[in-house]
Amino acid sequence: MTTTATAGALLALCKDVLAVAGQAEAELTLRVAERGCARFAMGELGQHMQIAEPQAVVRVAHGTRVAETVLSRLDREALVDAVRATGRAAKLVPEVESFPGFTGHDEPAGTDPPRYVEATARATPEERVERLAPVLHAIRGAGLVSAGMLETTSVAHAMATTGGCARSHDASVASFRVWALETPGAGGAAGYGGHVHRDVRELRLAEETERSLRVCRMSRQPASLEAGTYDVVMEPEAVTELLEWLAAIAFAAPEVEQGTSPMAGRLGERITGEGIDLVEDPLCEDPALGFGVPFDREGTWRSRVPLVERGVARAVLYDRTCGARMGAASTGSAQLPAQGTAGGVGATSLMLGAGTAAGVDELLAGVERGLYVCRLHYVNGLLEPRRAVMTGLTRDGCFLVEKGKIARPVGNMRFTDSLLEGLARCDGMTRERKAVPTWWSDAGAVVSPAIRIRGWRFNGKSQEAYEG
Amino acid sequence: MTDVPLEAALAWLRKQPDVRYAEVRLVDEGSERLRLRDGRPEQVTVEASRGVGIRVLGAKTWGFASTADVHESALVAAATRALAIARASGAVTHRPVLFPERPASRGTYETALAVDPFTIPTEAKLAALDGPVRALRQGDARLKSAEAWMDWTRQKKHLLTTEGTDVAQTFTFGACGMHVFAGSSGGDSQRRSYPTWQGGDGFQAGWERVAALDLAGNVDRVKDEALALLTAPPCPGGSRTLLLESSQMALQIHESCGHPTELDRVLGSEISLAGGSFMQPAMLGRLRYGSPQVTLVADATRAGGNGTFGWDDEGVPAGKRALVERGLFVDYLSSRETAAALGRVSTGTMRADGWNRTPIIRMVNVSLEPGASGTLEDLVASTDDGLLMATDKSWSIDDLRLNFQFSCEVAWEIRHGKRTRMLRDPFYTGITPRFWGSCDAVCDERDWRLWGITSCGKGDPMQTMHVGHGSSPARFRDVAVGSAS
Repeated sequence: MTTTATAGALLALCKDVLAVAGQAEAELTLRVAERGCARFAMGELGQHMQIAEPQAVVRVAHGTRVAETVLSRLDREALVDAVRATGRAAKLVPEVESFPGFTGHDEPAGTDPPRYVEATARATPEERVERLAPVLHAIRGAGLVSAGMLETTSVAHAMATTGGCARSHDASVASFRVWALETPGAGGAAGYGGHVHRDVRELRLAEETERSLRVCRMSRQPASLEAGTYDVVMEPEAVTELLEWLAAIAFAAPEVEQGTSPMAGRLGERITGEGIDLVEDPLCEDPALGFGVPFDREGTWRSRVPLVERGVARAVLYDRTCGARMGAASTGSAQLPAQGTAGGVGATSLMLGAGTAAGVDELLAGVERGLYVCRLHYVNGLLEPRRAVMTGLTRDGCFLVEKGKIARPVGNMRFTDSLLEGLARCDGMTRERKAVPTWWSDAGAVVSPAIRIRGWRFNGKSQEAYEG
Repeated sequence: MTDVPLEAALAWLRKQPDVRYAEVRLVDEGSERLRLRDGRPEQVTVEASRGVGIRVLGAKTWGFASTADVHESALVAAATRALAIARASGAVTHRPVLFPERPASRGTYETALAVDPFTIPTEAKLAALDGPVRALRQGDARLKSAEAWMDWTRQKKHLLTTEGTDVAQTFTFGACGMHVFAGSSGGDSQRRSYPTWQGGDGFQAGWERVAALDLAGNVDRVKDEALALLTAPPCPGGSRTLLLESSQMALQIHESCGHPTELDRVLGSEISLAGGSFMQPAMLGRLRYGSPQVTLVADATRAGGNGTFGWDDEGVPAGKRALVERGLFVDYLSSRETAAALGRVSTGTMRADGWNRTPIIRMVNVSLEPGASGTLEDLVASTDDGLLMATDKSWSIDDLRLNFQFSCEVAWEIRHGKRTRMLRDPFYTGITPRFWGSCDAVCDERDWRLWGITSCGKGDPMQTMHVGHGSSPARFRDVAVGSAS
């Protein structure tokens, strides 16, 4: 793939367009993602795609009246027209009393962590196929069916305001997800592996493929286990599903203001276990864990925000407008609109603190009778957001643990429990943590160790197939 | 239809000896998204997106490339990339794609509108939301927050294929609704929505649909119910007779019938996000999916549906087919490639959510046919002991679409044929064919309503799609229920 834009070139275009368009108060963000997605299933590379995702987001203010335009054309003429049209629209919309204006030239900037690797950005279709060939071969050779995705993406991102704020950032992401399956789509044993890195050459393709094969083999002929309360050890891929939902319901200022967040009215109070630290850390420099863009859509430089410290609710996330309304400074958490949803406030780099366990085996060793869960499926956190009650199912590996060892595979189980109350019963976490990309975006990841929770409530079980 | 030189890309592809089939699809889309919250604008956004997606079937397999640059040279370059991808992937292909030819389609489709929403000034649209959203907060300090929204999208799509298909379609999608959050001093928070949960309120129609919604006329009921939920007892757990109102039926159909009948899932090509399906080909014509009350139909021709169109993105004309007939599983939602794998013919459901995504199988309007059990009030009157649940709050189902659990905003207990006390935080859970097998009554066409889900997620990378679901209220026996609180 050829990268068609650099952040520097986009920033120059932003400044040029704002200067020409002649609006007194405007903000322009340009973002170009070039994605190479090699999606395989049923043992074949059947959907291999080059996806262009150009996006311009224009906001123009007349006093406290703010209108927005989102467009895919990034040529100068279209952008100038869009800025002017947005200016006309802004005169007609209601006022946002707390709107503080767009970011100015005096907005401080920090260090831009390195996020760009040329080898990823310039990966060709032929290179992706070459990297995937051994994966497909290994799983086919094992008599199993492969599925998954190898993606190489480059993102150029820039923003500027008429007040003189100017930001730019280049990034690349390579991600790999692989399943080894007993059947292509009819259920049965399944194992999963996945890895994300800035550098496609660093992806652990062989290791994660082997992991998927190992878990799939271990998962054959599962026993049926009754619903009930079990101690559970969850891999990072399972925990991050829960944390994504926690991020969606808990940490954004609008949900706090609305009263639906479990943090609402509870800052300074213990909301979960003493061993739990949750931090929004977009500037993390660890190349295996850090994927955040260093500034938000408003140009506010992001920072490390401790959200929960030793189980105590400490902070929530703000953009400039929410912050002004609620008496707080922006945390650099304004988000761009995406796929038809409004721009809002939220986390992009939520991280659960590490523990001390050497590995999953150490966590399992402390379980007399419980479950080892590799992944979760279709988690939903809207049952009772104030308590962070969530439901979902196990997927791609669920095992009964007896006397500290994996005893046998069991069928998929449904849980319904409060995550915050569950984390209060967490008594073990691994030292090693893993980044798992958020599935709805190429712009963020959630980081977690494997964890052990006592007394997690499973209220149902699924079936491996339906036979009437 | 367009001055974009799509034919140039197609002409180049026709000259390549290893191109078995190709499609060039222009999508030009404009949207207006309005959202008011607690009296202030949260979103006043205009969107415009235009580009071309090119899908090429080479000697062995597919390649896809997209471009926002619609000049001739850029389109030919995108076609070149798509073919290069197909060739590269062909190096590891074991089973070449089977893709039967079909006759070319030609024609146009356009959403029927009484009043074009894009002729209504933004100020008038905002005013239609502003009154209700302010009224939702009035009269009680426990009414903490209220929102109202309105989305309009006009999508123009032009598809050309190497088979000679040339179809131009213009869609107008809308969505509109409101909700209020009530909060107690003890920290409880309850939501009540109208006409249903946000995201389930879509349609294909004009401004006339918003006028018919009558947001203002529903404000008092919505906020009264939100406040009542604060003091309502939790839904008791157990096995109960369950009545679902129409919009919750739409979600139930979506998750437990629509998705598992998608043939790409069934065959295994959606594992990397969504999962598979329990409705395997060997069950076709044999699986007792539901009771004889249950006939589920995929209808892409029904006027006003979110899943209505003229042709899918492979040029297959829209049609109407039963998926489940009097309880028996009889057909899939399919594409040309997946149908051919079973020796069948495509049911015309391939759609992409925009120019930069490849088509995949998507639901059309998948609906439960009306029954003969009168209105919802008749159904309540004929129920001795049960629960009526309304308006989706949370949703979850396993990767084979068997074990589901949905929670609703509100439930009412039914005693001796009467709706009695309100219950909060209700959920119900079950196994798909057992649940549908327990359906013993479906209301008639008087309470049948076509709903529209605005953002059904599927694919990898994610695509969000407009799909429709119609249903009357229905009754199910011996369903496991409980409360999240």
